[in-house]
Amino acid sequence: MERKYTLLAILVIVLALGLVVLPKSNGRKEIDPKVLLDGVVERSRFLSVDQVTHRIIENDPSLELIDLRPADQFKTFALPGSINLNPDSLLSPYGSELLGEPGKDKVLYGNSDLIAEKAWLVCSRYSINRLYIMKGGMNEWFTTIIKVQQATGTPSTTDLDLISFRNAARQFFVGSGTATHTPIVPVQKEKAPLIRKAPSSSAGGGC
Amino acid sequence: MIGPIISSGLISSAWDNLFAILLGMGFGFALEASGFSSSRKIIGTFFGYDFVVVKVFFTAAIVASLGLLYLNYLGLVDFSLLYIQPTFLASAIVGGVIMGIGFAMAGFCPGTSLCATAVGRIDGLVFFGGMFIGVFLFSEAFPLFENMYYSGSLGAKMVNSVFGISPELFTFLLVLAAVGMFIGASWVQKKVKKVEY
Repeated sequence: MERKYTLLAILVIVLALGLVVLPKSNGRKEIDPKVLLDGVVERSRFLSVDQVTHRIIENDPSLELIDLRPADQFKTFALPGSINLNPDSLLSPYGSELLGEPGKDKVLYGNSDLIAEKAWLVCSRYSINRLYIMKGGMNEWFTTIIKVQQATGTPSTTDLDLISFRNAARQFFVGSGTATHTPIVPVQKEKAPLIRKAPSSSAGGGC
Repeated sequence: MIGPIISSGLISSAWDNLFAILLGMGFGFALEASGFSSSRKIIGTFFGYDFVVVKVFFTAAIVASLGLLYLNYLGLVDFSLLYIQPTFLASAIVGGVIMGIGFAMAGFCPGTSLCATAVGRIDGLVFFGGMFIGVFLFSEAFPLFENMYYSGSLGAKMVNSVFGISPELFTFLLVLAAVGMFIGASWVQKKVKKVEY
């Protein structure tokens, strides 16, 4: 190898080694309170349940669902691909790695907005980006997506499209069977009146 | 801390196309300046008489990795705002095999074929035409491939997270591998008969 290439090779090795041996920052840089306040006032952190559902169905690889509900509720039912994270573990190494994963939109939710809002505030304070809240949490998701809804009055095309999307989404999550509260009563078979045929007259003569 | 200028909101995303054109022109210029418009130069990698392709791409990878990690360390780039292409394992493997075969057969990848076309090479033009026929056929037949296309979704997966090591350590190992490759390639090139083109 030529001398200049040898020097360049040594330089990049030293630079790369520098990255390994440099003291690590704790990765948590607290942001300016004014910037945090702007973020709190701004409503763009909220994603509607329809937006989240759409991205789940589309199998959006940049979506990371972080379920902040208790583990037993998570085991009972969880959104596909979601990860259960105890709010106590938000700033643990595991939580930091999960929330700091590049290239992902992290969507936080609990049963309502309460715990997700608190988690969002803590994480935003430590400069964790691409952090969203599913508005209304799992309660809203269940009411909007899983419960059967019918159009009332004269719905607009947009409303009809939305209802159609939700019906399709419901089928995606629970299968094609629709929940019904009407008890199924076995239908009594009507008895057909028996009509007896009158005996035919005996053939007269013949072979 | 600032991140990439568009995703951090410093400028509007309406500038996307302009940046794409400028970066594309720069990329094309770099490819042409490195001699990548010649299929014989590119195919030299497979025959062992010219390793410039591997050297250029490896150099680009280590320079970009080192640059990003240092900028992130200094607080000048927010790593989490970078867009990372999601990984779909099955389609990446199938696509990689098809592209490798095409690369070895024609001596071009999509980018270098455009460079070759731009400088008026007929083989580049033929490759370019074939590529668009392939794209058209794939688009028309997409429903047949859709399941395979989306299977093995791993999200925005980083190699270092797969191995459970830090990005810094992975970059260090990558640099060592690159330097090893440079030395190995030079050794092979000396052993193989020189080809004039």
